[in-house]
Amino acid sequence: MNYSTSQFKNGLKLMLDGNPCSIVNNEIVKPGKGQAFNRVKFKDLITGKTLEKTFKSGESLEAADVMELEMQYLYSDGEKWHFMDPESYEQFDLGRESMGNALNYLVEQDKCIVTLWNNNPISVSPPNHVTLEVIDTDPGLKGDTAGTGGKPATLNTGVVVQVPLFVAIGDKVKVDTRTNEYTGRA
Amino acid sequence: MNILGVPNYPQMSSVKEKLLQHQNRIRTIRDFFYSHSIVEVITPSLLISPTTDVYIDSIEVSVNHALLKSSNFYLHTSPELEMKRLLAKGSGDIFQICQVFRDNEHGSINSNEFTMLEFYRLGIDMHQLIEEIQELLIALGKNDIVKKISYAQAFFDYAEIDILNSNFEDLKNILKSHGLSADYDWIEDMQMVLFVHLIEPKIKTFPVCFIYDFPKQQAALAKIDGLVAHRFEMYINGTEIANGYQEIETANEYRDRFETELDKRKSLSKSIGSIDEVFLADLKDGLPPCSGVAIGIERLFNSLSL
Repeated sequence: MNYSTSQFKNGLKLMLDGNPCSIVNNEIVKPGKGQAFNRVKFKDLITGKTLEKTFKSGESLEAADVMELEMQYLYSDGEKWHFMDPESYEQFDLGRESMGNALNYLVEQDKCIVTLWNNNPISVSPPNHVTLEVIDTDPGLKGDTAGTGGKPATLNTGVVVQVPLFVAIGDKVKVDTRTNEYTGRA
Repeated sequence: MNILGVPNYPQMSSVKEKLLQHQNRIRTIRDFFYSHSIVEVITPSLLISPTTDVYIDSIEVSVNHALLKSSNFYLHTSPELEMKRLLAKGSGDIFQICQVFRDNEHGSINSNEFTMLEFYRLGIDMHQLIEEIQELLIALGKNDIVKKISYAQAFFDYAEIDILNSNFEDLKNILKSHGLSADYDWIEDMQMVLFVHLIEPKIKTFPVCFIYDFPKQQAALAKIDGLVAHRFEMYINGTEIANGYQEIETANEYRDRFETELDKRKSLSKSIGSIDEVFLADLKDGLPPCSGVAIGIERLFNSLSL
């Protein structure tokens, strides 16, 4: 199946130079004296890189067979990270290079979005907000509840997040995975 | 409806504000031209011939059915030829603000109908016309720093391409090296896709940018001088706002340019109209040496509201 430039829209998954890509931005440019073009920004779903291409109106690209499924993160054996589709019970695994920043936020049993291309997993997105446990941080100053200052804290996935001074080892904290920012205590 | 049964128009004041702002800007433009003794004209929008431009499509309209004298006209896509007929008849400097109509142009910054400001100035060249446009921008309160760069220099600086000396095969290879389709029939179309792909994103950083001396293959109705045509465009943050020429002057040159465009339309299986012979006849003694420009008013005004 092919999509023509007139069907291009954000989020459409297409094959580009052999890789599945997602349209991030689609701009129609019609020079006064020229034919219409689509200047398109893509995200390569495998490498995560952004690339720009310009097509003349009427060109078409092959659709990429890409699905985004909610899955449960099961465990890691150190080389592979294992996930399960809770509906089909089908299991999938990914190597470290495909895990991206999900490595920093996923703990066993968490829900996440796994992207499949031709039924093979290619990337994982953690939920926007996760709850993690503080395993190491300097003792905070007693009585500082305003959260004006900050200190680094290591969480149970190994990620380091800036937290308010009152946060202590063993606390559960909420983190925004898009910005790696502390958003509150759980 | 409110409690008294009167419709509420909560946006009334902001609509009126916008209308007044638009009115003031149009008035500023008119005052600018009046103060330079440039005469305002109104030319017909219903034309006998469609435009010959390969990539501009006229909208055809059928009239006078009930009078049993039905005939077809084309809405003007720009007032250019009608204004040039006036120039040929001795009008002197003229300007016009009018609605123009184009088929197959529709999108976030394109529309089948838009407002065009077009003006012609006798005895000045492309660079002097660019200076006058800068004065008009200042009159409209747009005081941004202006970048002015030739088409060839823009390609050298932003893409390391010698665009004027790249032939058909060179451009195909450049397109392929950028992972773009090289399926184009004409060199000018490849120059254009490279401009859209490589240059426009770079000139987005300039609030106002004039690109001048286009490759001769993109001369349109501008005078050719060696490898370039004295044609320019104005871009505001990377969006095309204006297109101007140091105008060709003789009927023969116009006929040649029209025929070239019609041949291209034929090879693309697009609708073909007849060449406007009335226009060519009016040009029998030629156009006085002049430069002219068309400016998209909505795009220009949108850039002022930013």
